Amino acid sequence: MEFLNFLIILWAAWLVWRRPEKERLAFGLLVVSCLIMALLFFIGTHTSLVPGVNL
Amino acid sequence: MSEARLRSVLAWVVLALVAVPVGGAVWLGVVHGESPCILCWAQRTSMVLVALVALFVLRYGPRPRYLGMVVLLGAWGTFMAIRHSALHLARDVGQGFAAPYFGVHTYIWSWVIHWVALGVIGVLLLLLKEEPAEPERREPGRVGRFAMGFFVLVVGANALQAFVTTGPPPFMGQADPVRFSLNPKRWVWMSNDELRGGISLRGSWAVPRPDPAAVEADADPANGPLADLPVLAVQSWMRIAAPLDGRLTDLAHHPAMGGYVAVTDGFGVYVLDSALSAIVHQVELDHQFAIDLTPLAGAAFLGDTLAVLSTNKSYVLLQPDPGADADHEWRHFRTTSGDVTELRRSRFATVRARQMYVLSLAYDRLADELITVSVPSPRHRRLVVSRFARSDMMLASEFLPRLGPGVTWRGEERSLAEYVVTGAVAVDGMLYAFSAAYSTLLVIDLRTTLVTAAYAVPEIAQPVGLAARGAELLVAQADGRVAVIGRPGVNVE
Repeated sequence: MEFLNFLIILWAAWLVWRRPEKERLAFGLLVVSCLIMALLFFIGTHTSLVPGVNL
Repeated sequence: MSEARLRSVLAWVVLALVAVPVGGAVWLGVVHGESPCILCWAQRTSMVLVALVALFVLRYGPRPRYLGMVVLLGAWGTFMAIRHSALHLARDVGQGFAAPYFGVHTYIWSWVIHWVALGVIGVLLLLLKEEPAEPERREPGRVGRFAMGFFVLVVGANALQAFVTTGPPPFMGQADPVRFSLNPKRWVWMSNDELRGGISLRGSWAVPRPDPAAVEADADPANGPLADLPVLAVQSWMRIAAPLDGRLTDLAHHPAMGGYVAVTDGFGVYVLDSALSAIVHQVELDHQFAIDLTPLAGAAFLGDTLAVLSTNKSYVLLQPDPGADADHEWRHFRTTSGDVTELRRSRFATVRARQMYVLSLAYDRLADELITVSVPSPRHRRLVVSRFARSDMMLASEFLPRLGPGVTWRGEERSLAEYVVTGAVAVDGMLYAFSAAYSTLLVIDLRTTLVTAAYAVPEIAQPVGLAARGAELLVAQADGRVAVIGRPGVNVE
């Protein structure tokens, strides 16, 4: 999934660099990438969502 | 700062961010074989996304949604770093996950970088001049274009590393990743290991606090984990007639003085006379001063010093003192009889009994050690005896008792962790532990760590403490009544 996420980021960066008129699509890809990152972190920490120390 | 100047600065920020933490991470993975775990990947991705938002600003100007996005990423990245670092922050010196760089591990560097990103965006916004709106798109300039190309190059390298070490979807990062290799036979792709286990907010820290005066448990010895228990009959009853503030949670006996110390869940500590009818000394501890005290659950005499223990393994040492300084002790006590001094207040640290509460305290005079017995919880089902040296109040040893000869299980799946020890006392190298669950007295040899005997005491209801008085054991109940039973193994002439 991390591989897929980096491909999405590459796509967004390419649009910003070479196809700047597609800002809406690039920003949408940025948002999707953020959500995938958050989902993967949630999967990695779902058995203890907050730091495992005395709170 | 003009917007043009801002974009120039941002281009350099992107170059630095992409070259050092993001590009450096690829170098660490490919050259040094230090692969990122699933949490490291998320943190690295967040840093990449911060740089990507900066590219958006380079190209389209500082639009509010870009600034909002970078603040969100900074806040989320900081949380991720704290959550990740918390796995390792409390470890011993020099320990951590993978190798440190410049003395700091990578998950901490991620914390620093996200924190700096938030600081940088704040400074840039402070310095940014309000100017008329510029065209929809801007030329990023030479450095900006280089930053964009460099970004694509480094993120492409990250994608390659991610493909090798985590695989294509639906595979994802792992908790313990193996080092980078170009040999496909050594690639480890997993898609379901990280999905195991239920969703929990606190994980292993979700431990319910026990009520020391109202343990909910099956009191019938016939249902306990040990079979064929001999019955100990109550020889007589006493009652604590002195007025206590709160519910009784433990009782200890002073062998030389003949008096007692009683503690309550209202943080009351009472030294009582030999008839349990008059208060000789009394304090109500300020449970919020310095050390967080949960309800008191244990008490013991260490010679003339009183040790009291709360359920979270915090302890207080007290001493009757006719010359007590009232003004100094004001910070320690909410109320006092005026003749008690607090000597020390601190916490016991355990290893095997970590994340477990206790409901008892004993003092082994022969070894000069204090002893606690953990109570099980749905998260941690163990019965751990922890021993602390009185000299420095630090852990001396711990053990999980095993059954000695002649003591047998009722079934194969039974365990000593089914007992909830609410009172304990050590005499002559033996630990006597009374369990509210199954109303059972366990006798544990402190030298061999074996349970040498166990007895059913069916007449007891809601036991909260255990004291020794010569050849007798005194089982204190939450209602203030005290049962006198013969101490097993002692011949009474």
